[in-house]
Amino acid sequence: MMKRLQKKICLLGDFAVGKTSLVQRFVYNRFSDKYLSTIGVKVSRKTVVIPHADAMVEMTMMLWDLAGSQDFEGVRANYLRGTAGALLVSDLTRPETLDSLARYLKDLRTVNAEAAVVFVANKRDLVAQQQVSPAQVAQVAAEHGALYYLTSANTGTDVEEAFRSLGRLLLEH
Amino acid sequence: MDPEIITSVLQDRKIAYFITDRDLTVVARQGTSDPFCEGQTLCLGASLLALVPELIGSEETLTAILAGELPRFELDWVNRLVDGGQIRYLAMVTLPRRDEDGEICGLLHLIQDVTAFGAIDQQLSQQRNELHLLQAQLTRQNQVLAAANAELQRLDDLKSQFIMTTAHELRTPLTTIRGYLEMLLDGDFGPVPEAQRTSLSLVGNSAARLQSIAEALIDATRIDTGHVEILLQPEDLLEIVAKVAAEFKPQIQQKQQVLAIEAPTQLPPALCDRRRMAQILGNLLGNATRYTLEGGRITVQVRALADQDAVELVVEDTGIGIAPEDQLRLFERFFRARNAKKMTSKGIGLGLYITRELVALQGGEIWVESAPGEGSAFYVRIPVAVS
Repeated sequence: MMKRLQKKICLLGDFAVGKTSLVQRFVYNRFSDKYLSTIGVKVSRKTVVIPHADAMVEMTMMLWDLAGSQDFEGVRANYLRGTAGALLVSDLTRPETLDSLARYLKDLRTVNAEAAVVFVANKRDLVAQQQVSPAQVAQVAAEHGALYYLTSANTGTDVEEAFRSLGRLLLEH
Repeated sequence: MDPEIITSVLQDRKIAYFITDRDLTVVARQGTSDPFCEGQTLCLGASLLALVPELIGSEETLTAILAGELPRFELDWVNRLVDGGQIRYLAMVTLPRRDEDGEICGLLHLIQDVTAFGAIDQQLSQQRNELHLLQAQLTRQNQVLAAANAELQRLDDLKSQFIMTTAHELRTPLTTIRGYLEMLLDGDFGPVPEAQRTSLSLVGNSAARLQSIAEALIDATRIDTGHVEILLQPEDLLEIVAKVAAEFKPQIQQKQQVLAIEAPTQLPPALCDRRRMAQILGNLLGNATRYTLEGGRITVQVRALADQDAVELVVEDTGIGIAPEDQLRLFERFFRARNAKKMTSKGIGLGLYITRELVALQGGEIWVESAPGEGSAFYVRIPVAVS
């Protein structure tokens, strides 16, 4: 009988890095290039089957898409309660969003010191506008001992892989 | 409190509530419209976490409230997608529910529909974020422009250096060529047959023209790079006019032109650089004689403008004139009027540019009045030296 789990996963990062787009791509396999600012939190659900040890585990991921604006810093602690893991999202066309990830990670660790994290650098398809190199992303991820993925919510590149990778980490915790 | 009042308040404030037992099973609810039981005929007896998936993961927190360790748990601005793709915004609060003995027997969950505020907040957040993105984009573009400007400036400096170096390198041997030609024509190396004299004169003229071009390039580059030295002193413009006019006498006589000078006997001193003023007058007189046909007339007028504390110099000719559309560009670098090009191939179009810049560096003005076939008048106005 397949083991079933429910895990709360938060997406953290500055505004307009593509958190909502990553969820839309992963959960509904769709993308819109129209920017709509998120306020508060949007919760979506996706169930994936992940191989673990010699078995398969059915994991329902409760995906918390949190607002990236600074207005919501005060309420973020409540949103982060019970988080098992997080995707820390940055934007390859905006260097300052990579610098911000340390702050989000600190907030997360304050609520859950053991939460699993995966770094995601999004908008990989915008090659001409890229301001952050893969090496820079790798360095920041390595500083925090985390895996990283260069994704594109637009094309779907490595989106599924990033979420599944986090799922595997959650099973190992 | 009167239940009717409670109901009215809840409805007015768009608040619904659940009551769950210690097992998080719904035992009571109120609210005619809430997003948790819509489409469900029965809510009572359902699991809280099934109705409110936003609380999944918060089981420890709910347990802490049930244990009296935490007074409340809030989730603000929870987004719920409703039919039609609209977003409803909800504010959720979970509180302990106590029995008659004051013991915690379950949880009270309040859910308020704050969509009206949420929609406004979303718009504000959107506009603010878009503004931030635009500012960041502008900053990046400014940085790119600054870098491009710096590179352009570097290339411009390189160009100026190249022109200066080349012009200097050309000027030096030309000085030697002209010097020896002069000595040859003066017979310093023996008599020169007439046929050779003519040829040597042609060589000399060409060397002089090349030297003039080199000088013009050096002057223009010095002006562009801000390296022109101007020494402003009270100067007698009449003296300068007389000296320059004398230098042009042979040229004017050769073309059988008439040069008239109209000037008062006394003139207030002009505040100018003597050498550069002579250069300005030389350029204007040179053009006047060049673009006036044989037998034509050139007039140099000098006058004081008492009401403006300035002296005015006018070089007027009966030459070919300048078309109105060419007058607009006359003082630009490398520009030559069409009829000037037809008349002579000499010149690279720097003379009037240099003249204008030298006038401006001395605090003066220059302009032209002209019509094709009717000659031209160049006006130069220079401040008077105040004692």
